Amino acid sequence: MDRYQRQTILPEVGTSGQQKLKSSGVLVVGAGGLGCAILPYLVSAGVGRIGIVDGDRVEESNLHRQVLYNENSIGALKVEAAQQVLQRMNSSAQLEIIPEFLSTENVDNLVGAFDLIVDATDNLEVRYILDEACYRKKKPMVYGSIYRFQGQVSVFNYNGGPSYSSLFPKEDKSLLNCEEAGVLGTTVGIIGMLQANEALKIILGIGEVLSGKLLIYDTLTNDQQIFQLADQPLNPSSKTEIEKVNLVDPELAFSTNSALIDVREIFEQPEIPFSFCIKIPLSELERRLDELDKDSDIILFCQMGGRAIQAGRLLIKAGFNKVKAVRGGANDILKLIEHEIEHE
Amino acid sequence: MITVKYFGNIAEAAQSDFETLNVDSISLAELLEVLDSKYAIAQFPFQIAVNRKIVSKQKDLNILDSYEVALLPPFAGG
Repeated sequence: MDRYQRQTILPEVGTSGQQKLKSSGVLVVGAGGLGCAILPYLVSAGVGRIGIVDGDRVEESNLHRQVLYNENSIGALKVEAAQQVLQRMNSSAQLEIIPEFLSTENVDNLVGAFDLIVDATDNLEVRYILDEACYRKKKPMVYGSIYRFQGQVSVFNYNGGPSYSSLFPKEDKSLLNCEEAGVLGTTVGIIGMLQANEALKIILGIGEVLSGKLLIYDTLTNDQQIFQLADQPLNPSSKTEIEKVNLVDPELAFSTNSALIDVREIFEQPEIPFSFCIKIPLSELERRLDELDKDSDIILFCQMGGRAIQAGRLLIKAGFNKVKAVRGGANDILKLIEHEIEHE
Repeated sequence: MITVKYFGNIAEAAQSDFETLNVDSISLAELLEVLDSKYAIAQFPFQIAVNRKIVSKQKDLNILDSYEVALLPPFAGG
């Protein structure tokens, strides 16, 4: 018995649809809450080639929602732990894991190598990088994102349809919101499932794809609303020149001749001791520029990277030359400090 | 009467998912000013949908009785 028989007997799928699934390549960016919901369904449905991009490792606080991982996965690379589980689900799936964070350096090669991109990131900065590459390479991008009990789903760059940045143009304040918010596993599960469903529809060429529309799902009320995007979408904001901030790995943050600056607000956890960094919240940076030396090396970090990049742009605009932002965030810095203390 | 719906961090600032305003006609620009004075919404990035259609920045649009206006911020979690 064919393992896909229960889906191929659907007239909308059939053996030709199964062949389409088998010969398609999907890149899932992010193996966190959304990724863990999306991946098993793509793999089980028989998508032939799946790329998984994520540089993160499994933490205990991930387990309530990132259901591909178990207690033994803690500390492992997410992409490796996910691959192990997924390969057992479907031995014929070709799984390509990329244990890196998506960046301007690797995005073009990755997007270019797949037919369809699923945005399962938790970071606006990365989303804009991905959206721009998908727009340039004309690859559809299935978007999903969460705010507490609500989720958004849409498909961008589909057959010349609008892109993410035409819905939400890149503006400085849009990057501000990266403090950790709480979330239930079921919320990311539902939104991830809607994304996986759109991905399968696109590959199979069935149904109405959520292109040119934004779906908002409220899991507390089960309200589901679809908004039509504006008729004449703008192109991605390539016209607006944005200062490029170079990223460094957290390991390089502690060089002796550079200043490490925490741009998070004072109350944010985990706290990084004063002995390791200077604390200037992003909201105060503009009026505290004179505390910094324009010619010395400056390395910025925040919770997840978005505000550090934003702070970097602000500094570059103000004439600072040697500004970098840490890839990752405060948790990575803290781990390095703890590691250092243990080995002293 | 017009209905204003709030999502994401804007719903949090407004401390509600929706409210109705007892007006028959108001320009979108005026409405946004009223909402900003109540909830400081200008600090957030968001798009505006009128009757479920995102209206870009046509702020001279008139909001009439029984219209539904929604403020849609981008979400970032995952």
